[in-house]
Formats: sequence, structure tokens, C-alpha cells
Amino acid sequence: MGFRNRSYKRAEVITAYCFLFCAIVLALLFIVIPIGRAFTYGFTDYYLLKPDDKAFIGLDNFYRIATDEVFLKSFLNTLQFVVLVVPLQLGMALGLAMIVSKKVIGNAFFRTAYFSPAVLSLVVISILWTVMLNPTSGLINEILTGLGLPAQPFLTSTTQAMPTIVFISAWSGCGYQMMIFLAGLTNIDKSLYEAADIDGAGSFKKFVHITLPGLKPITMFLVITTTIQAFKLIVQPMVMTGGGPDYSTMTMLQYIYEYGYRHRNIGYASAITLVFTIFLIAVSMVIKRLFKEEKA
Amino acid sequence: MKRVKKALFYLLAIALALQFLIPLVWMILSSFKIDDTIYKDLGTIFAVVPHFPDLTLKSYQELLGYYNIFQNLFNSLIYASITVLAGLIINSIAGYSLARFHFPFKNVVMLFIIALMIVPIEAIILPLFLVVHDMGLINTMAGYLLPFFVNVMNIFLFRQNFMSYPGELIEASKVDGLGEFGSFCRIVVPSSVPMYVTVGILTFLASWNDFLWPVMAISNSGLMPIQVALNAIFSDTYNIFTSHMMAALTMVTIPIVLLFVVFQKYIIDGVVRSGIK
Repeated sequence: MGFRNRSYKRAEVITAYCFLFCAIVLALLFIVIPIGRAFTYGFTDYYLLKPDDKAFIGLDNFYRIATDEVFLKSFLNTLQFVVLVVPLQLGMALGLAMIVSKKVIGNAFFRTAYFSPAVLSLVVISILWTVMLNPTSGLINEILTGLGLPAQPFLTSTTQAMPTIVFISAWSGCGYQMMIFLAGLTNIDKSLYEAADIDGAGSFKKFVHITLPGLKPITMFLVITTTIQAFKLIVQPMVMTGGGPDYSTMTMLQYIYEYGYRHRNIGYASAITLVFTIFLIAVSMVIKRLFKEEKA
Repeated sequence: MKRVKKALFYLLAIALALQFLIPLVWMILSSFKIDDTIYKDLGTIFAVVPHFPDLTLKSYQELLGYYNIFQNLFNSLIYASITVLAGLIINSIAGYSLARFHFPFKNVVMLFIIALMIVPIEAIILPLFLVVHDMGLINTMAGYLLPFFVNVMNIFLFRQNFMSYPGELIEASKVDGLGEFGSFCRIVVPSSVPMYVTVGILTFLASWNDFLWPVMAISNSGLMPIQVALNAIFSDTYNIFTSHMMAALTMVTIPIVLLFVVFQKYIIDGVVRSGIK
């Protein structure tokens, strides 16, 4: 089919662009133009309710970001969430996958049970857990005191709110990743384990030298996607705490939502959008680079 | 030794299973109780084990008397269905075009798609809101749905899928008098049904569960999808009965449970495939 590289067939070109038409128009309208808007508005003091009154203010918004304490706090909160949730969630997912990969009686039940939070939406999960974590009349404190442990304030405490959200996110998200790890485990060559058995390797050694290396490509993919996903945390704090108490669960995306949507302060929120988007793209590129270096 | 190991394994596996199931079971059981019973049972085994004389449908009746949950569920169903249908058509023909045809600037279009794949959509949600706002489409179905028809990741997935489709079969169908679009509809699509089902189900779930965009795009309660309505119920009347809230949560979850039961294979397949590629 080499001859086709040189010349285009008119009918084919027309058909090709007809097929692409909707996708290109929609992508331009709803992805490219918004990115452009973030760039143009980020350098203005645009307030949504006074659209004719916007002035170009240069880098003022960006100076303001650099000295904004609540922004810094929301950045650190988000970072704390990412650093805690990624290892916790992936660790839980891998552990669960190891359990359900064993061919034992009850295997199907365990798999279904571990995967079951997947049927709940983030809003449902957030509401359900907020009710269960009620410090005075919640199920969780009732269980804790029943076991002889002290009751906890959970979401109402500035120090416990974020770790609580971390746990709930890992709880609800690890089932999906368990499935991905499980597929990875079944793809590992069984004869490797048999050979290790003959050499007398223990189960810990087998885990470190066969299982983990075999799961490496999948782990890399999961670390990247979970990290990016975690940086975009918003629904759980929005529903459970509204960013409080005392901004202790305010995240970066939520800060954009608060400033841009709730307070209609488009100029400043657009500047934060730019910083946030570029930051996320940079993070995903850095993680990919790290994994590549390790591979080589 | 082996027996002890086995017992420990089961103990751990069961404890973990309980940890995932208790919240779900508590949610469902509490939806069939009145608040007094919920809180009376809290410290007892009946919090998570049904005690049939106590169960009633009262909370559902009362909830449906206060809130028009069915309207919101119906809205979500319509929104998700339209998004699936339009998304499958638009993204798959775009992917097909990129896989099969030879045309000028094809590399530019490909590069454009790959570049957009790394843009986190939620991050640009505010300027997206502004664009839809400027079009005068806030609080309309069009403004809510149009931005999420195109999904560059799905275009890419469809392209990968169609690349492996043998071109001779399409040429043969053209000899039989079918045009490009005809051969796509009659020959290519039927042979890619699993791909369509998988992408369709994942799109449906994403649309059904979405929260941030609908919060921004829709404030009219008649148009609200169910997730936003849930949050409104939860936060608007902070003194809402726990039993009513649990009934609402259960009602939202039932359709998804059915979806998982019917399409389990495709959902797992989609999840796993996205992880392995």
C-alpha cells in the first residue's frame, strides 16, 4: 500500500474529515478554548458579575498565589493526601489481590466483598461515612467503644479529618486496583514459583524476587494514575467537611471551585487553574521519567 | 502448623470482608428502619444483622413524599444514556477515521489528541464553566451534556482497536456496494461489540457518578442529576432523618448493583484492560 503515502484520494480525505468533524469541533470548544480562557483570564482581575470591568493586571495574580496562606495550606493538604493515599490504597489493593489469588474455598465471596464498594458513587460513600463517623451517634465510635477503645472526633478534628478522608478514599478505591493487580498476578509465569520451590525459597523471598518484579509495569501504571487522581481530590471534602475544620481538608481543586465558582472571582481562580494544570502535567511527566530511569 | 496458617488466613480474609461489607449492610438495613430503631440497634449485633419485626418501608414512603427522587434518578438515567450513545458514535468514528484513512495533517490530529490526553479535565473545570456560561447554556441539558461527549482517551482506544481490523474485509464489503459509512456500520461495528459495550458501560458509570461538573452546570432542581440531589438533601436539611438518608443512598445504588450484575464481565475487563495497556 506504499503508493498511498504520496498522494491523497479526494473522496477518502473528505470522508476522513467528516468522520472526525464532531470530535474535533467538540474538543476545540470544550477543551482547547477553556485552556485558552485560563491563559487570558489568569492575567486579569475579571469578576464574573462585572464582565465589562476586567483589566489586565500582569502577574499580580501569580504574586498573590505565592503569598496566599490558604492556597499554600490547600497545596500542603493535597500533598499530604497524595503521599498517604497512594501507598495505602495500592498496598491494600496488592494485599487483597494476593488473598483472592489463592485458590481456596470462599474465594469468589472474598473477591465480591472486597470489590463491593465499587458500586457506591463518591457522593454516596462520602455521605454514608459522614453519618457513620458522627462523633456522638455514629456506628464507628460505637464499634470502637465496644472494643474498649476511646471514641474519636474524626472529621470534626483538624488533625484527624484529612487522615480520615485518606482512609475512606483508600477503602473505596482499592477494589478496582485489586482487580488490576489480580490480572497481573495471574500473568506471572507459574514455573518461576515452581523453580523457586525446588531451590527452597520461602514465601517472602518468592514475593520479593518473583511477584514484585512481575507486577512492575502494572504498579508503574497504577502509581501514575492514582497519584494524578489523588491530586484532583475534591468530592469527599466537598461533601464531608466543606474543606474544614479550619481549612484542614481544603484541596487545590476545591480552592479553585471556591474562588472561581462560589465567589465568582474568575481572574484569580484562572491563575490558580493555570498553576494547577501545569503542575499536574509536570508531576505525571516526572513520575514517568523516574520509572523509566529505574527500568534502564 | 499448616492448619494454624490456614486458620489465620481465613481470619484475615473474613475480617477484611467484614470491613468492606459492614458499611454497605448497615446502609441497607438502616434504610428499612425508623431512626429510633437505628440508634437503639447501634451498639448491638442488629446494627448489621436483620431483625425482621423491626423492618419497615416507612422511610422510603416518607422520603418519596418529601423529595422527588425518581425525577432525579430519571434525569441521571437520561443524561448517562445520551452521553453513552453520543460518546460511542462520535469517539468511535473519529477513532476509525484515524485508524483507516490516509489524509493530510493526520499526524497533527494524532499529536493534538495525544496532547489533550494529558490535560486533566477536572483541572480546567472552571474555564469550561466560563465557556458554557458565555454560550448561555448553564442550567440547560445541552450545556451540561455537550462538553463530555468527546473523550480523547476513548478516541485513542477505538483507534487502537480498529487498527487491527483487516482492511481486506472492508474492501470486500465496498465491492458489494457499501460506502465507507455503510461498511463501518455493517461490518466493523458488529465485530467490535465487546469494545463498544465496555467503553459504553464505563462511560455510563462515569456519567452517573459525576458530581463536580453537575454541581457547577446545573442548579435547577428539576434538571438535577441524582448525585447533586443527594448532596442537596444531605446538606440542605441537616436534620434529615438518618433512615431517610440511607433510603436515598440505597435507591441510588440499586441501579448500579444491577448494572454490575449484568455487565460484570465487561466492567472488570474494562478496568483490567485500562490497567494493562
